[in-house]
Amino acid sequence: MKTESFLRFRFMAVSLSLVAALLMAQLVRIQVSANTRSLREDTRKTYEDAKQVLYPERGNIYDRWGHLLAGNKEMYQVGIDLRYVVSPVTIASTLASVAGMDYNEVYAKASTKYDANSAVYIDLRTTITPEQAQQLATLQTSLEDKAGKITKGQEYPSLQGLVWTPILQRSYPEGSVASNIVGAYTFLDRDGNRDLGTGIYGVEAYYNDILAGQPVIVDFSLDPNKAQNLPTVPPGASIILTIDTQIQAMVEKVLDKSVADTKSDSGTIVVLDPKTGEILAMASTPRMDPNKYWEYKNTFHDGTETNRAVSQMYEPGSVFKVLTMATGLDTGTVKPDTVYIDTGGIEVGGITITNWDFLAHGPQTMQGCMELSLNVCLAWVATQIKEKNFYSYLDKFGIGRMTNIDLSGEVDWPVLLPGQPGWTPFSLGSNAYGQGVNVTPIQIASAISAVANHGEIMAPHVLKAIVANGRQEERPLRSQGNPISDKTATDLTDMLAKSVQSESYQNAHVDGYCVAGKTGTASISVGNLGYITNLTNASFVGWGPCDDPQFLVYVWLEKPKTNMWGSLVASPVFAQVVQQLVVFMNIPPDDVRLKLKPQ
Amino acid sequence: MTQSLIQAYRQAPWRNQLKWIATFLLGVIVIALVAGLYLSISAQSVAIGLEIQGDNQEKVVLEQDIADMNNQLGDLTSGPVMLARAKALHYDYVNQSDIEYILVSGYAGRQTAEFAPQASQEEVPIDTLNPEYTRSLSEVLFQGLMKFNAMQAKRIP
Repeated sequence: MKTESFLRFRFMAVSLSLVAALLMAQLVRIQVSANTRSLREDTRKTYEDAKQVLYPERGNIYDRWGHLLAGNKEMYQVGIDLRYVVSPVTIASTLASVAGMDYNEVYAKASTKYDANSAVYIDLRTTITPEQAQQLATLQTSLEDKAGKITKGQEYPSLQGLVWTPILQRSYPEGSVASNIVGAYTFLDRDGNRDLGTGIYGVEAYYNDILAGQPVIVDFSLDPNKAQNLPTVPPGASIILTIDTQIQAMVEKVLDKSVADTKSDSGTIVVLDPKTGEILAMASTPRMDPNKYWEYKNTFHDGTETNRAVSQMYEPGSVFKVLTMATGLDTGTVKPDTVYIDTGGIEVGGITITNWDFLAHGPQTMQGCMELSLNVCLAWVATQIKEKNFYSYLDKFGIGRMTNIDLSGEVDWPVLLPGQPGWTPFSLGSNAYGQGVNVTPIQIASAISAVANHGEIMAPHVLKAIVANGRQEERPLRSQGNPISDKTATDLTDMLAKSVQSESYQNAHVDGYCVAGKTGTASISVGNLGYITNLTNASFVGWGPCDDPQFLVYVWLEKPKTNMWGSLVASPVFAQVVQQLVVFMNIPPDDVRLKLKPQ
Repeated sequence: MTQSLIQAYRQAPWRNQLKWIATFLLGVIVIALVAGLYLSISAQSVAIGLEIQGDNQEKVVLEQDIADMNNQLGDLTSGPVMLARAKALHYDYVNQSDIEYILVSGYAGRQTAEFAPQASQEEVPIDTLNPEYTRSLSEVLFQGLMKFNAMQAKRIP
């Protein structure tokens, strides 16, 4: 009995030991198997550590008063997670009705077979508004409620697999206003969660790096035991522009009407503060709505059209005489009362230069030469200045060089100098009245701002301040030199103020205000045909108030059809702008201002 | 005799067993306490970890909301919207001749946008932690002693 019991015990012990050994062996096998290692690795990747690129919020763009020109609005990016798709039909029909997407395209994408290696998530490359996202959420909840009553294996309508994630999308509350300056940001260029957008022109392009900020790659643990605070990604810097949105909108309105009324090919107006170089407004046609930047090809046909003020070269014509006369006065070659006897023609380099009206105007002071815009007189002044001095002054005025304004797309065209191929002695005579020399509107406005600012050119710019890391840094004002003396600037301003007060400049009159100014009508050279009589660049440059200039306005209309003369088509535009500008800038009429001026 | 004396001083076997059981149970209790403490701290840590993750997500959402609201404000104050509102309220464009200018002494005119302190201004350090959390014990004692001495000195006539 004892032996039998002992054997039974031994049997049980051996059996249990074997079971225990097998269990241990199985445990060891599971622990060291390849599948377990793979599972452990997958789990670690999925739940322990994650790598994420954090893209900072793009900085805002404001005008000088803090008015938002470019910001970021909440939108939802739509995609399909193929793992969970139940009904491609429902997804396609819902997106077609809610977001206006193409049914067939969405259906094809939603029907893609899930493949862990190649097809997991499809970005539908579209964004929906928060309201549309709310509609989808409501519909999804409704469908899921109904799905609970459906028997297993039965197909049912479902939005499972359709995902929408919040993103910030660039937005331009003012639409096309100031779009030539602000530019656009290609917010649709997203690849999954990678932001590949960039600024394409204007300050969005010029200050892209500042606005975009620095993306940060972070490794972090998803294990709550190892939870850590994600690093803060500072948003891109915001920038404050020198632009005044109200003035900009007013200038654009006046320009659009003028271009339409005069049937011009295009138009440009620049308004700047000559004391600081700050651009208060810069308008050119055409303009586009940066909220629909992808339609830019419908608006712009070449790069110069995005902002003609900095990107288009042209022969300025008689407004250039301001620089010639400034040089003559500053070098002492002539004085305001120097008399020139105009015979209606002058031979320079073997070619006879005539006046715009082909008439002789007899004895004229320099004041008269400017008022009547006599080509002959100014060509004579240039010949008296001599080539070396004339071109040296043009260089000081910045002609032939970029102004380095902080806008993308600025171009320049070097001035042909004596001795260079293409320059002839006649060039001196024609350059004197703005033919044979190419400038951009910002170049000529900047150069003439020296006359309005005691002889000093302040660097033209659109950036006023940068706001980053809780601090605001003002852009320091920069001088680009003093091409002429204060006396020359004052004398020339007086001369041009008298011109504007004369009968021939009546279209540029601004009641109650003294402004100085000069018209311009430049012939346009067309290919091999040379200068075409009826094709002109009509322009006007003016500044005021005469005793304390606070604004300079430059108007350029390209190829006006109703009338070719700057005095008839560009001067009225100048007057219309200044009449409203003085209100926006709180500049009282001269009599009131001088009375109110603190002693 | 000697044998019987030794025998007289031996612990009863059940007492030895009890002692071993008590020692074992004490060990178990200690281990359970440590495990409990560990679990409690671990659970708290996980809860806080999850809270941090939640806060991070909330922060992202709030930042997006702020940006969106700034943009909505921009939309509401944009030129076309303001113009429509002004027209609805029967405002009209002002003419130069309608304006009366007066000199207001001390008024510097409309100031341009300022969203943050100027970079040139001296930065004021903002410490979010109370000094109690940043001072060492010796500093607390030393500063307390100095404060006490100062108070005593003031009392001396």
